[in-house]
Amino acid sequence: MTVTIVGLLVNGLFLGSLYGLIGLGLAFAFGVMRVVNVAHGEFVILAAFIGVTLVPYNPASPLLLVPVVAAIMFMVGWSLQAFLLDRVVGKDQMPALLITFGLSVALRNVFVEIWGADSKSIVVGALKFSSIEVLGIRLGELPMLTFAVAVALFVGLQILLSKTSLGRVIRATADDAETVQLFGVGPRRIYAISMGLAVSASAVAGVLFAMRSSFNPFSGVERLLIAFEVVIIGGVGSLWGALLGGFVLGVSQLVGLYFAPNSGLLYPHLVFFAILMFAPYGISGQRQ
Amino acid sequence: MLLKIDGLNTFYGDFQALFDIDSEIDEGEIVAVIGANGAGKSTLLGSINGLSTKKFGRIVFSGTEITGAGADVISRLGVATVPEGRKLFPSLTVAENLLMGNAVRRPGPWTIDRVFELFPALVELRNRNATKISGGQQQMVAIGRALLANPKLLLCDEISLGLSPKVVGDIYQCFEVIKSAGTSVLLVEQDVMRACSAADRFYCLLGGKVSLSGSPDAFDKERISRAYFGA
Amino acid sequence: MRYSFRLLRPPEVVVLAVAAAALFLGPAWIDIGYLRLIAEILFVFTMAQMWNLLAGYVGLVSFGHQAFVGIGAYTLFFVSNSLGLSPFVCVPLAGLGCVLTAALLSPFFFRLRDAYFSIAMWVFAEVVRIIVSQSAALGSVYGMPLKTARQIDRIWFTWGCYWWSVGLALASVVVTIVLLRSRVGLGLIAIRENDLAAKSLGINVWSAKLVAFLISSLGSGMAGAGFYMASFHVDPGGAFDVNWVVIMLFIVLLGGLGTVEGPVVGTAVYFILRGFLADTGNWYLIGMGVVAALSVILAPKGIWGALSHRGIELVRLRRNPMLSQRR
Repeated sequence: MTVTIVGLLVNGLFLGSLYGLIGLGLAFAFGVMRVVNVAHGEFVILAAFIGVTLVPYNPASPLLLVPVVAAIMFMVGWSLQAFLLDRVVGKDQMPALLITFGLSVALRNVFVEIWGADSKSIVVGALKFSSIEVLGIRLGELPMLTFAVAVALFVGLQILLSKTSLGRVIRATADDAETVQLFGVGPRRIYAISMGLAVSASAVAGVLFAMRSSFNPFSGVERLLIAFEVVIIGGVGSLWGALLGGFVLGVSQLVGLYFAPNSGLLYPHLVFFAILMFAPYGISGQRQ
Repeated sequence: MLLKIDGLNTFYGDFQALFDIDSEIDEGEIVAVIGANGAGKSTLLGSINGLSTKKFGRIVFSGTEITGAGADVISRLGVATVPEGRKLFPSLTVAENLLMGNAVRRPGPWTIDRVFELFPALVELRNRNATKISGGQQQMVAIGRALLANPKLLLCDEISLGLSPKVVGDIYQCFEVIKSAGTSVLLVEQDVMRACSAADRFYCLLGGKVSLSGSPDAFDKERISRAYFGA
Repeated sequence: MRYSFRLLRPPEVVVLAVAAAALFLGPAWIDIGYLRLIAEILFVFTMAQMWNLLAGYVGLVSFGHQAFVGIGAYTLFFVSNSLGLSPFVCVPLAGLGCVLTAALLSPFFFRLRDAYFSIAMWVFAEVVRIIVSQSAALGSVYGMPLKTARQIDRIWFTWGCYWWSVGLALASVVVTIVLLRSRVGLGLIAIRENDLAAKSLGINVWSAKLVAFLISSLGSGMAGAGFYMASFHVDPGGAFDVNWVVIMLFIVLLGGLGTVEGPVVGTAVYFILRGFLADTGNWYLIGMGVVAALSVILAPKGIWGALSHRGIELVRLRRNPMLSQRR
């Protein structure tokens, strides 16, 4: 019994790291630009679709897809901000909220037109099922790998923000976009870069996800809701909080599925509501 | 002539804050702008550094017209600002705030070490979050940040506000060093005595217009007072 | 903009009375096939008005209003089938179910600002959808038929659904106008502009938002119940589909957020487009998404807003939250 519980916990952590990564993109975009990108889930799925499309051209390990798709999706995120969302950056969140909602509706259905409504996944061959046994617990190699990549990305982003000059400029812009102009920084450029980073981080999650389970054009909604819950649980504006939030939801998901195999995302949603109800007043959506 | 302003009219929305302002600053000068609250002093600085965008007239800096230019462009040409209220970046440490001055990427004599020489009190605070230091220390950081942009012209907005006289005195000593490095300073102050003692020339603003200008020694207190409050 | 102290002015009363009379007498002069279509249109119109009440006037964008559509529909079906009550009588009960739900949600959800409220509502809708889909008593994934409808004569049933749709549509318009001209309504407008300032003026932000939220859930729930009642069948995939919000949002944004006339225009446009694009499969959804997004950028006041800019104004009562976004 303990073995099962520990197994669920460990695998929940692995899954949670992906959830955290998806949430990270949303949190980052909100932290810097106060924009909630409702189409976030669709970009995660777009990354997965691009990954699937590129599989036949990929000479080696499917993991090579990750940086390629991340680079492509960086451009997509950058363009989204530069050409669309930049027009509505401001104190009022409503316009960006509505625009990205409309965009998400359009994207979902464009995906159906381009790739069809069937479920797909990124085929990784034997890697999907290989596992090793540690202390009596079965650990999948793919989940461990995705965990490693996800944590590496978190660390990488943390280093970027705290140790590089670009990171410094991004944090300063997030603090005060007007004053930052007095020091030669164009906020719009920073916003575009930040959105590019946010989308590309979540794109990585999308590709990794597609390796372990299947998806369809409408899976974006699930991804968005998870991302959102991760951000709320972890605390708005907290990088590592997103990872923690991801873990909580990942474990909830696996525990929930263990007892109720057809429940979809019900248990993470319920855990989210429970935390919402008992959390201190501080969950007001305001940056700490 | 480093900075020349001709016929400047600046608006906030529909409200006109500055009326036909003419003024100039030369290389190596310290010029004070004094006036009561609402006289238009900060708006004048905002017009020069580009944050106040609704304006008509002509502003030429170092040979380039900057009237319609964006604030980031203007800062890269060599105008740095110490904003009213300091406006330090709350997520950043003291050192990181200072280094933001470097984002302008202008070559010049100021480095973070030279700023620490000028303000030794900041050395032990370098890794502290910028909001967790005293008002006087924050003011030093704000000045240091602007200096690291290696400006030709330094705009200072109400740096004595909220600080004790001793602290203000310490901070004002840095202007000697700044001037000797060749940087011009435009100093907006409510504290008339302080500003006039540090400055080579001054402008007094009243209701958005220049009510008096010249060398501080040329006028007696009463004359300046009349220009300040309006006779 | 003058605020009238009377909640409803004589010219408006006349217009509404004439419209009400004409519509209620519908069965006398409208062909029965059209009655069904009009009923559908009016149910959707009501939902749009209710979504508009929350988004346009209070500034709470809900991406989870499909929850009320579904809860309303399922309440009606369940109560009607289990207790053998006429479905027409169950419509208000459906509304009641939604109001109770909204009342229970409000203490937690009102803590959330802006986008967080919007998405939390969506999460709620998903939770309800999953629970209903797994509930055998409610027909699981396949849904339930409206058994009690079989006992009602077909023509009377169509008329009954139609009359409900007319009643709800008229009520949604009247309630919106009256609410917004009342003290509560002025408070809502103040809240939309700046809720901290409103609070400092002594306006009870919480209770004003609550009133709007409850009314919005009531109307949406009853409209959802009516819509599915008229379809004889309800299923979780359809009733809790986020596309309900897509439709409400499209109608409101295109017609004019924060206006009473806007959803009228928007609903008309929506159904006209739907008629033309019926065979294009996904494209009409793609189109709706794109149009909704573009209208925020290009025409934040919607069609009605653009018209009333030229001096046409039917109901003196305009609140456009997106005009406060100056760029």
